[in-house]
Amino acid sequence: MRILLVEDTRDVGEAISRRLEKVGHTVDWQTDGQAAADILDFTDYDLVILDVMLPGLDGFEILRHLRTGRKTTPVLVLTARSEIEDRVGALDLGADDYLVKPFDFRELEARVRVLLRRRAGDPTNLIECGDLVLDRNSRSVRVGNREVQLKRREITLLEVLATRPGRVFGKDELLDHLFGFEDGANQNAIELYIGRLRKKIEGSRVRIVTIRGLGYQLVADDAA
Amino acid sequence: MRRETSLFSRLVVRVALVLCGGATLLAVAAWYYARAAADDAYDRLLLGAAIQITANMTVDNGSLAVALPTSAFELLGLAERDRIFYRVIGPDMRTLTGYEDLQTDLDLTSARAAPVFLSARYRDVPVRIVVAARALSDPSFSGWSYVVLAQTTEARRALAGELTSRAMILVGIMSLLALAGTVLAIRYSLLPVSALGAALRARDPQDLTPVNVDVPRELRPFTASINHFMGRLDERVTLLQRFIADAAHQIRTPLTALSAQVDMLDEDEMDEIGRRHLGRVRKRVGQLARLTNQLLSHAMVIHRSDSVRFKPVDLTDVARKAFRAAIPVTVDPDIVISFEAAPQPIVVLGDAVSLREAIANIIDNSLRHGTVSHLAVRVLGSNGRARVEVEDDGPGIPPSEWSNVTARFVTSKTGEGSMGLGFAIAAEVASAHQGAIGFQKRGERGFTVVLDLPEYVEGAR
Repeated sequence: MRILLVEDTRDVGEAISRRLEKVGHTVDWQTDGQAAADILDFTDYDLVILDVMLPGLDGFEILRHLRTGRKTTPVLVLTARSEIEDRVGALDLGADDYLVKPFDFRELEARVRVLLRRRAGDPTNLIECGDLVLDRNSRSVRVGNREVQLKRREITLLEVLATRPGRVFGKDELLDHLFGFEDGANQNAIELYIGRLRKKIEGSRVRIVTIRGLGYQLVADDAA
Repeated sequence: MRRETSLFSRLVVRVALVLCGGATLLAVAAWYYARAAADDAYDRLLLGAAIQITANMTVDNGSLAVALPTSAFELLGLAERDRIFYRVIGPDMRTLTGYEDLQTDLDLTSARAAPVFLSARYRDVPVRIVVAARALSDPSFSGWSYVVLAQTTEARRALAGELTSRAMILVGIMSLLALAGTVLAIRYSLLPVSALGAALRARDPQDLTPVNVDVPRELRPFTASINHFMGRLDERVTLLQRFIADAAHQIRTPLTALSAQVDMLDEDEMDEIGRRHLGRVRKRVGQLARLTNQLLSHAMVIHRSDSVRFKPVDLTDVARKAFRAAIPVTVDPDIVISFEAAPQPIVVLGDAVSLREAIANIIDNSLRHGTVSHLAVRVLGSNGRARVEVEDDGPGIPPSEWSNVTARFVTSKTGEGSMGLGFAIAAEVASAHQGAIGFQKRGERGFTVVLDLPEYVEGAR
């Protein structure tokens, strides 16, 4: 994926681009706000990481410029506390997420992953099954008023089960859905994810049933 | 033990001393006058008796005869317990009748002009003596004869004592009335002092605005000094807060750079010891980053609490944003984290940014120090109250420390390290919104932190 990083602190910019390049992304790193805005005019990126305090044009200006150009590129804003204070509307301006400096670099990487996936997949947002509502955008499953946060693979797993309630899915089949052809995954991982999912949908009338020797199925109990 | 000084007791003691002195003086005066009055009254009786005796002196055949008149003694008998001594002296200075040893130092001739009274002792008792003289001018017998009449003083003393004690009762009653009046007056005059004290005590410790209590003129220099002091303290606190915010702000950039550098260190090229040290450095950098963020957040909510106008905000919306911001994507996947919105919209009058900071800090605290496997955030509204509950399944904070944790930098005993400023920020925001931070414990596992705020009702103030 192609990422534009706009950050004028050398140490920080270097660390972010190194980290993202390590997981396989292409990172263009700009230190000047005006230059970054110019580049955005004729280049499409999969993600923009924006520092707010920049020489030339500040991060909010770049963001406004980008959004008035009707571009939907996800934007992750790096900001300081005092700057949010002045611009409450960082998110309202069209940023998809923000991180407050100083931040944890693993968290940055995780959020980048989430933003990129959201763009790539563009999945249907809501999947309903019994009294469960699966919301891919907020990465959560809803039972009544209660929203429980899910991890990516948990969402995928629940999605697979929920699209065909009642059908029994074998462990191998689920493994394929979850990990594709990645190495290192084994059937124990499926048990782990099923266990976590069960905990997270507790209180719902929908249950994950183990069919010994065959696999798992999603069963929606009727209210009656 | 140091004695506590009190204006009230000082005044009461002094007034009481003055009243005691006055009463003593009055008592002495009353005693004096009572004695004079008693003497005066009984002296008249004594004189009357003496005159009757002198009137009954007759010259018979050239010799002096005295018939002691019973009426004279009846007169004196009015003083029942007193004894009477008499002596009649003839012109030749011989005792005619009576007690010969009833002597006086008086020159008897001085009684010729008018009867003379004197106090003396006779037979070891105090007596009052009158000496009356009579000139006898009979052709056969002429010259001055005298009557010395003495009476013990018991009746006089009794009368004087009675008069004095009655006077003393009056003096006492008056003194008590005066003292009671003084006590009431002092109490009343000191009321503004305790009112001022109560007003100061009732103040929020954060409130450094001038004292605005009606006080009498005499107390004004005092309130003026308090206000002057408050003003200086306020300036100082503001300065200090700005300093802390500036310092934290300055620290932030190098700190971000530092954590960037630490992040770039390659663990694979390190040996076991190097990796262990790197792990510790990462952890400490993380702590430092968190504290710096909290300092800035704290400075921000304080600044906003007196500079931002409150607006109606949707608490569910604010709480959801805080929830998103506070739960890291990298959180342990085995923790069940849920958010529960109220079915109806819940609106509070406040500052969305501060409220989000408060809620995010509560969630962050719970995640770091409480949560074992469950964390639930709920937004509820009922009876005009809006509540955000953050519940985890950790051991929680023992009730004995509930009042402390909203103070700054309290170290939790159950968890490790400092809980930092999280609760202090939340408490600050809560009180700026006329709300409070509360705690609930549910059994062994289950601890809830509640941000309780007044719900905003349109039209109401």
